[in-house]
Amino acid sequence: MISIEKQQGLLLAISKRLKKPVNVYAVGGTAMMFLGFKDATLDIDLVFENKESMEVFKEAIESLGYKAMDAAIVYGRKTNTPEMFTLGDERFDLFVKEVIDFIFSEEMQKRAKQTHQFEGNLILKVADPNDIILMKCATDRLKDLDDAKSIISNFKINWDLIYEEAQNQKKLGKIRALFELGYFLEKLENKYKIEIPKTIKDNLWNALEKEAKSKKKG
Amino acid sequence: MKTKLILKKLEGIHNIESIMETLKISRYKAIYYIYRLRKQGYIKTKRLANNRRLYNISFENKLGGTSYYEIINKYSPIKITSQEIYKVYGKKPTLEETLVYAVKTQRLRIILASLALFKRIKDWSELYRLAKTNHIERQIGALYDLSKSIMRTRKMTKLFRHYALPKGNPSFNYVVPGLKSKDFQNIEKTWRIYLPFNKSDLENYK
Repeated sequence: MISIEKQQGLLLAISKRLKKPVNVYAVGGTAMMFLGFKDATLDIDLVFENKESMEVFKEAIESLGYKAMDAAIVYGRKTNTPEMFTLGDERFDLFVKEVIDFIFSEEMQKRAKQTHQFEGNLILKVADPNDIILMKCATDRLKDLDDAKSIISNFKINWDLIYEEAQNQKKLGKIRALFELGYFLEKLENKYKIEIPKTIKDNLWNALEKEAKSKKKG
Repeated sequence: MKTKLILKKLEGIHNIESIMETLKISRYKAIYYIYRLRKQGYIKTKRLANNRRLYNISFENKLGGTSYYEIINKYSPIKITSQEIYKVYGKKPTLEETLVYAVKTQRLRIILASLALFKRIKDWSELYRLAKTNHIERQIGALYDLSKSIMRTRKMTKLFRHYALPKGNPSFNYVVPGLKSKDFQNIEKTWRIYLPFNKSDLENYK
């Protein structure tokens, strides 16, 4: 596990090794730590704007001793899996724009209001808590449900925004996004008895039904 | 009570009495809670002139780093708060970087507060380099002339002025989109930049 202080030290060490300035979005446990929802995390999930930035970042973490690992161990046969690097029990999951069945859209980038600059080269933006829920739903790993629960109990979730973003994902070509969101919310409801607004659930299932019907016709 | 819960209830500016009142606890217990929060890095303390203490309690304090707003507030008579968080770690942002950041926000009050930084700018070549990179050298030049007209500032180098002054007849740009000045039109014409302030906005600097 990596604490806030340790994580800042690590990001500073990476920044010193970066050969070019890199902009990156924190979307998972790291983002939750910056927002105060969590005290420590195992995996540092980062989304890069382009492949080039990720390569510069990769070079820096490799110089610190991080070794590449197989994403299938954690993500199975999902698409758009990250490049993963590990050292001890810490892990970096590095995505480029796409996070499994979701895209880290321009709207999500605009909503990332908190910025943390490490020396001159590493600028890390923290995803909005509503978008972190969507990213948790995309990665859907063992701890993601717990994390989503923690966000929901500490932050006033804008469910309409989450639904709209899932619709936006559909427009961007990520047709599974609505389904994944519905599935994730159902699991949250069943496991933690979290109340999801009925209108959101109805809208989600209506949209999915419509999608299924249109496919049948096709 | 758990530290997270105390933090949630006390987030903001407090003195010992307001903590006692918010949590409905004794003075002794309030001091103990302050001790706990401080130990975990959630408290920044400020001593007032009468030796009383003010506690700034926030999760952000634990993150450390320096924010541009802290630097502006340190030097400006106009104090600002912002919901937006921009923190810098591993180095202290320079005044030149802070000024460029403030102008880039395009927010009236932040720019107004940052005018005080012109009293302390020393590295004009660095300021020009940063301004040029962000395409705001004319904005900085115009804001400097405006500051100079209302307060004592450090002197801008001739080189900065020479390179930053508009060449030819470029179109007018805004510092804050949509806002023009009634009182500083001569500066606006020189730099071909619309200034967002009138004389009455700058009274805090007198």
